[in-house]
Amino acid sequence: MTAAIATMGSTEKPLARRRTRTANRRLLPWLYLSPVIATFIVWIYWPLIDAFRLSFYQWDMLPTSPIVPVGWTNYINIFSLPKFWQALGNTGWYIAGLLPLAVALPLAIAIFTADLPPRARMVYRGIIFVPMIVAPVVAAAIWRWLLDPGHGMVNMMMRDFGFRPLRFLQDPNLALWTIVVLTGWKLIGFSTLILSAANANINPSLIEAARMDGASKWEIIRDIRLPLLSSTVLFLVMMTILLGAQWSFSYINVLTGGGPLGSSTNIYYVLWDFGFSSLSVGWSSAAAVILFLGFGALAFVLFRLIDKVSFHDN
Amino acid sequence: MTTDALALPRRARRASSASGWLKGFDLAGGHVVMALLSLFCLFPVYWMIVTSLRPANKVFERSLWPTAASLDNYTYALNAIPIGQMLVNTLIVAAIVTVVQLITGLLAAYAFARWRFPFDKLVHVLIALTWLVPLQVVMIPNYLLIANAGLLDSLTALILPHFASALAVLMLLQAMRSFPNEVLEAARMDGAGSWRVLWEVVTPNLRGTIASLAILIFISTWNEYFWPLLLTRTPEHSVIQIGIQMFMTSEGTQWGPLMAASTLASLPIFILYIVLQQQVVSSFMKSGIR
Repeated sequence: MTAAIATMGSTEKPLARRRTRTANRRLLPWLYLSPVIATFIVWIYWPLIDAFRLSFYQWDMLPTSPIVPVGWTNYINIFSLPKFWQALGNTGWYIAGLLPLAVALPLAIAIFTADLPPRARMVYRGIIFVPMIVAPVVAAAIWRWLLDPGHGMVNMMMRDFGFRPLRFLQDPNLALWTIVVLTGWKLIGFSTLILSAANANINPSLIEAARMDGASKWEIIRDIRLPLLSSTVLFLVMMTILLGAQWSFSYINVLTGGGPLGSSTNIYYVLWDFGFSSLSVGWSSAAAVILFLGFGALAFVLFRLIDKVSFHDN
Repeated sequence: MTTDALALPRRARRASSASGWLKGFDLAGGHVVMALLSLFCLFPVYWMIVTSLRPANKVFERSLWPTAASLDNYTYALNAIPIGQMLVNTLIVAAIVTVVQLITGLLAAYAFARWRFPFDKLVHVLIALTWLVPLQVVMIPNYLLIANAGLLDSLTALILPHFASALAVLMLLQAMRSFPNEVLEAARMDGAGSWRVLWEVVTPNLRGTIASLAILIFISTWNEYFWPLLLTRTPEHSVIQIGIQMFMTSEGTQWGPLMAASTLASLPIFILYIVLQQQVVSSFMKSGIR
């Protein structure tokens, strides 16, 4: 009883002290937060509001030219623009193409290579992580060289095996998938490492117990490993859906410029294109608002989903 | 042996030699898969370095190592654009951004870790949500801001927007929350002000997290492409990522110098990686993907 009173007293005291603190004290946390808050207001939150405002105007970004209010015209124009729908569709293809490379394949590899000895594992880990630290522009340059239709290593090899050389980045049917693979190249090793780490964290006695009960390797994967890996997998899926198309931006800009015939463009590249090639602030801003709201809704749904599943996991 | 294992699936011990054989097979398979993945991940980088070292007239050779190594491509690249200046610029930007983001991150994380205050949850969420806002969405207002301030084509323009990052705040906050409260209490009892506690007690104890973060921020700033693309105009005031692009023109690509410039741009990061490999990998893994 006395102990209870004592603990109550000890929680009460700082509270009382807190109450008597001066206004100065109350300001203190905000002072510590101010650099971060100021940065985010100036560079992210105010620009978001400003993009929203600009989406109702027509302007070519020159200080001398007038900013004309046009109401919803920008939105109406964008929705009736085939280029926008093509970019939106392509964004979906980018994400769909990246999911196997950034999640499914790494998951299979992580599970399949779970029994490798620690030393070999460390060596592989050091190697497959390398693409992650290679700059996107450097990666684009290297792959442009490897995939060159005339002298690139990949096409030379294909010719050796009797195949026709492919114009990976110049063929409208191939360009998007080529960029998906390049984006995947940067992610596949890293995802494998994340999933391997999660896989190694699974309590070995669970696996052992299942084995004793006569569970086959496949049953162990299906009933033990996959459920226990589900939260990591979902995290990777969410990252890929929300950021996947964004990761491709550098490759698109360096390698194809969205072409040929818009076949490799995506929603992020279209924003760039509207804004800085066509110099149409209104269109770019309207597309930005659409993108932001769309992805915001998507993120919300995904977060809710993850919440549900990770609760399940506990 | 195999039939034995099939006939008595519930007797794991009896089937052990069969499963041993199977295990060896799996192991070899695992090595094959990993070797293929390693080849896929490393060969492009290797090919970049090999190509960059070939003499100018032998760039199209396919031998796995340069038959006659030469620095022709490097000389050409260095003469074509101010690579030295661009590397220095990149280093300046990456170093300043790293230091500033760590400082602002420490300050903000400390505010959350030490005090409860009105709207703290809301501010926390708003900071965390910033990583969901794509650069392309806010680029025009940002560009106009920089242009109106007369900062276009300057290193300042590349540094200012990176004064804070959600990643730094959140990672440091996580580390501070696992920090023993007694130590903080003791320091407070000694009459140390919040400022002194932060720099003399908290920060020295977060060295591991700070080092991880520093690596992450430095590498991602070094590799940054979008921001310089938007805000810089002349090679002298730009970073190396933009320089690489200059060797890829619509008229044709100078493969040798392009690979030489790419190698030079990657060298500092590769050296960092070779020296601090374990730390680099674990800091990236700690942070998730971004």
